[in-house]
Amino acid sequence: MKETFDLTWLIAQDAFWSGIAALGFAILFNVPKRTLFGCVIGGAAGHAIRTGLMESGATIELATLAGATVIGFLGTYFARRCSAPAAIFTVSAAIPMVPGVFAYRAMLGLINLADADVAFGQDILVETMINATKTGFILAAIAGGTIIPQLLFQRVKPIV
Amino acid sequence: MVIRTGSTAILEYETLRDVIDVALWAGQMLLQNGADSQRVEETVHRIGTGLGCNWMDIFVSPNAIVVTTISGDDFRTKIRRIVRIGVNMHLIDAVNSISRRVEIGELDRFQLRAELEKLDALPHNYHRWTVVAMVGLACAAFARLFGGDFPVMAITFAASSTAMYVRQELNRRFFNSFLVVIVTALIAGLIASLATRYNIGKEPQIALAASVLLLVPGVPLINAAEDVINGYVVMGLVRGVTGGIIALCIALGLLIAMRLMGVEGL
Repeated sequence: MKETFDLTWLIAQDAFWSGIAALGFAILFNVPKRTLFGCVIGGAAGHAIRTGLMESGATIELATLAGATVIGFLGTYFARRCSAPAAIFTVSAAIPMVPGVFAYRAMLGLINLADADVAFGQDILVETMINATKTGFILAAIAGGTIIPQLLFQRVKPIV
Repeated sequence: MVIRTGSTAILEYETLRDVIDVALWAGQMLLQNGADSQRVEETVHRIGTGLGCNWMDIFVSPNAIVVTTISGDDFRTKIRRIVRIGVNMHLIDAVNSISRRVEIGELDRFQLRAELEKLDALPHNYHRWTVVAMVGLACAAFARLFGGDFPVMAITFAASSTAMYVRQELNRRFFNSFLVVIVTALIAGLIASLATRYNIGKEPQIALAASVLLLVPGVPLINAAEDVINGYVVMGLVRGVTGGIIALCIALGLLIAMRLMGVEGL
């Protein structure tokens, strides 16, 4: 019982702070004021789902895919409600999940590689590659997840 | 969804020139403000056919948009350069809704041009100090998400909001965009490393990691992956490389800050 409560509390806090993060970036991206609410809800829901799944043992990539899919569907919903492009909601909401730390850890590794000797360099190289790969896969999961509604509902029959 | 072909009526050659000009302008606005390639292509197509062309062929490339308008036997082609890539979601929303109004015949090409001129002069939705404060708060929220305690969040807020102010000032003076990223990351890193230096909070390294997140190239990277999925592989690669270089610049600025302050971290 206590464990369930702790997990719920953790996820609720996570949702709150990632909602704030999404709000800050939505304002940085100059979104129309009527869409702010949708950006915050999407950011909170997506990141909270990712955290919840990771707490129950999913890998970060898979959890990100699930979170991003929810962001994608929420974006489609808010796009209809506020008549604005879904991308406004999905991009702002996905920002808290963007692997910024992995990305610049990979780049820091690259810089450190410049003055490493062979033995030490192997460790840095492996670490850099892991970080770069994680960045790539998480990004692919974000884009793939947020685009799922579009792939399902907005198919175009080629004319030519 | 159905791709519309325009009316079968034939436009005059002079009209065709005007149509291609406004359609390209709308496309340029979208691409310069963070729209993905498919949206640019669809919107330009919608505007062109809405204004009476039979068909539009659009080629979106990283530094230019090429459009051919076709009406009857006549066609015209024009290139417009893409000079600056930023993010402004309000413009994307506005151009999108304008293009819908063109589609249903609510706006003709003269009204469309007037609307685009109005958009071009539009001020930002939020005051610059609001942006500074909210970006600081967002990075503090990231510090919390990484497990930082209250003092670490406070340092992160100070570092990121100062960095955001510096970034606005540098951008206003048209410095090279990569240079702006390096300097902004340097400022954020200098302030954030005070936490490690003076051992403020439980895990002071978190402040370093969180304070530069305001620079994370989220829009280019998400658009990159989206473009690749949609089949715009070249655009996707270019955006991905741009995002990678921005990440490298962040790391560079942060590294300089850490060496200057004599702290280890991350």
